[in-house]
Formats: sequence, structure tokens, C-alpha cells
Amino acid sequence: MVDKLTKQKEDMQKFQEAEMLKHLDLKYKNEIIRSMEWLDKKEDTIFIGQAIKYSGNAMYNTTKTVSDDKRIEVPVFEDVQMGMAMGMAFEGFVPITCYPRFDFLICATNQLVNHLDKISIISEGQFQPRVIIRTSIGSRIPLDAGEQHTQDHTQAYRNLLKRVDVVVLDESDDIFPAFKHAYERQPKSKYDSLVTLIIEWGDHYNAK
Amino acid sequence: MKIPKYLEKVKEVNWTKEQLVQFELDAKEEWESGSVLGPVHLSKGNEEQLIEIFQYVHPDDWIFSTWRNHFHALLHGISPDWLMDEIKRGRSMKVINKKHNFVISAIVGGGFSHSVGVAMALKRKGSKRRVWCFVGDMAFETGEFHLCHKYAKNFDLPLQFVVEDNNLSTNTPTDVTWGTKQEVPEDVIYYEYERGYPHHGSGNWVLF
Repeated sequence: MVDKLTKQKEDMQKFQEAEMLKHLDLKYKNEIIRSMEWLDKKEDTIFIGQAIKYSGNAMYNTTKTVSDDKRIEVPVFEDVQMGMAMGMAFEGFVPITCYPRFDFLICATNQLVNHLDKISIISEGQFQPRVIIRTSIGSRIPLDAGEQHTQDHTQAYRNLLKRVDVVVLDESDDIFPAFKHAYERQPKSKYDSLVTLIIEWGDHYNAK
Repeated sequence: MKIPKYLEKVKEVNWTKEQLVQFELDAKEEWESGSVLGPVHLSKGNEEQLIEIFQYVHPDDWIFSTWRNHFHALLHGISPDWLMDEIKRGRSMKVINKKHNFVISAIVGGGFSHSVGVAMALKRKGSKRRVWCFVGDMAFETGEFHLCHKYAKNFDLPLQFVVEDNNLSTNTPTDVTWGTKQEVPEDVIYYEYERGYPHHGSGNWVLF
């Protein structure tokens, strides 16, 4: 009788652990990693950002499997980083330019709003650079990184940007299709932009 | 004006000072007719310096210019007829020509990081082409210039900065606002000139 109860208890424990592991499957982060690895295989892609080659933030864990020679670790100069991405796209590269927190992307707003968002218009379609911008709404759980590291500026950027496609990754299943679309979509007109701003949720990295 | 020793002459420039001046006189006439419905930024006073510089610019090189770009465009081989049409269409400060690798930005310092990105792309591809970035005196004083020049120099990118100093940003004297001017780095081409036309327009009233 005691053995039977013990076994039942053990089975229950195993079941609970399995359920917990299922919950901690971290599909969200894994889907981002899968997307980065898929983009890595494309001949024309290049990854630019801070802490994409050296650890330092959560985004690093999604780029560390990308080919080493395709990752350009850059200094802290967010606006230059955005402009560099546009310049590289002029020469045929598809940059994936990474900003670990939305709060930092603000420092690149001049290049994003005045240049990347407008170049197809002011050049009358001669230049339609394809650039994928990654950023993340900083996580608050378990550690709250505070007011300057956790803001969600999605609506503000939707208001600022006339042509750039702004995509929020709410669900794990949204992730791979979003990156694939950003890489593959074709312009509908010469004034269309091929720039995509992809916004991730830092809190989902460790929860979904 | 000092040309760095690592540069070599690659072509004869087939524009004379008088021809450049005449082109702008024709543009001025169009502007004063009242039919041009956009700002016009006319060039005058730096013909000789630019004719000398453009002997070092290969036709396949990239040019990043500013809102005052007419001379740069002509000297880079862009057709005067095409350029005049652009001016008549009110696009004096949007002169962009992909066929000639010619791009402008109407934001102060806006093109610096684009030129870094293109130069980085050219280097990665093993190209022999160079990027030329034209810089006004106020833009030369900005942090953006400092960042881009430092990065390009440190990574030995094929990027040549040319500072064109008329000591005016619109009508604001650069030396007054900064109290002085910064030293010119050895690898930067620098020249001073007196602006022959106002910031925009011709100096005469135009009835639209």
C-alpha cells in the first residue's frame, strides 16, 4: 500500500515537472533564434548591433549562433548604426540592425524617421533599401530595469513612420513569419519602403 | 587645400569654372521666373576647388552630398539637362541619382553614416571604389562627424571626407556659435570659400 502511494506521488511529481517544463519551453526565444539562423543562411544578410557578438543583454542569446563573420559589433552610436545599415543596404546587403531596448532606439530616430522612412519617397523609388530593425521592450520580471530601460514606444513610432512597417511580436507563432516576410516582401509601388521595425517583448524571452 | 597623398588622379574634369557658373545662372533664371515650387540652393565661389577635387573621384565612386549639391552632381558626371529638370521640378535639395551613385541628405550631417555604411560594404566586397562625403562647416563640428570620421579612419574604410567651409550654417556664423573651430584632421580635405548666393534662392524677390 505504501509502495503504491509512493509511486502515485512520484508519478504526480513527474507529471508536474513535465507540465512545468512544457511551460518553460521558451518557444518565444527559440523562434527568434530560428529566425536569426534562417536569415544567417541568406547570402546578403549582415547583423549589426551592440552585444550581438559579445554577451551583455538578452538579445545576444538570439544572435550567438549566427556566423561570426556576419556579426558586426559596433560602438554605442545608435544613429550612426542606423545610417550605416542604410548605407550597406545601398550596396545590396540586408542588414539586421539590433537595438536591445526600445529606449535606445530613440537615439537612432533621426536616421530612422528622416532617412530610412523617407528615402524611397525623396529618391522617387531609386533607392528602396531593405533593412530589418530589431528592438525589444525591456523586461520587468523578475528584475525591473526601470523607467529608462523598459518603455514601449510602439504607438509613437507608428505615428512617426510613414512607410516603415512596424510589427510587434506578441506571440511565438508570429515570430518566424514576421522575419521571413521582412526579408522577402516586395514593394507594391516605388514609394514603398522595405524597412521593417520588429518589436519584441523582453519579458516573453523567459516566459513564453 | 591639401589633397592626401594616398589619393590619385583618375580623370580629367571636363567642366570649366565658367561653365559651372553659367549653369547656376540658368538655374537662377528658372528660379526667378517663379515656376520652381521648391527651395533652390545655388552654388558659387568653390568652382576651382571642386574641379581639382573631382579629378580624384572615379565615375563609379559614391558621392554623399548635401542640399547644396549642383556642382557635385555636375562634376560627378550627371547630365546637366537631367539636373536642370530636377531643379525645375523643385527637387534642388533632393538630387539623387542611383545610376551615378549620387545621394544627398537635407539633414545636417545626415549622409555621414550612410557613407560609412557604403564604405564598409565596399570594403567587405573587396571593391576598389571609394566613397566621398561632402561636409559643411557646421556639420564638421558635430558629434556625428566625429563618430563617423573616427570609425572610418579606425577601420580603414575607403571613405574620403571633404569639408567645405563658408563659415555659415543657413546665416548663422559657425565660428561665433562654437567660439572657435576644430582642427582639421590630416586625412580630411578642407577648403574655405565665400558663398556666392544666399542660403537658398538668388537674393531677389520672386513672385510665385
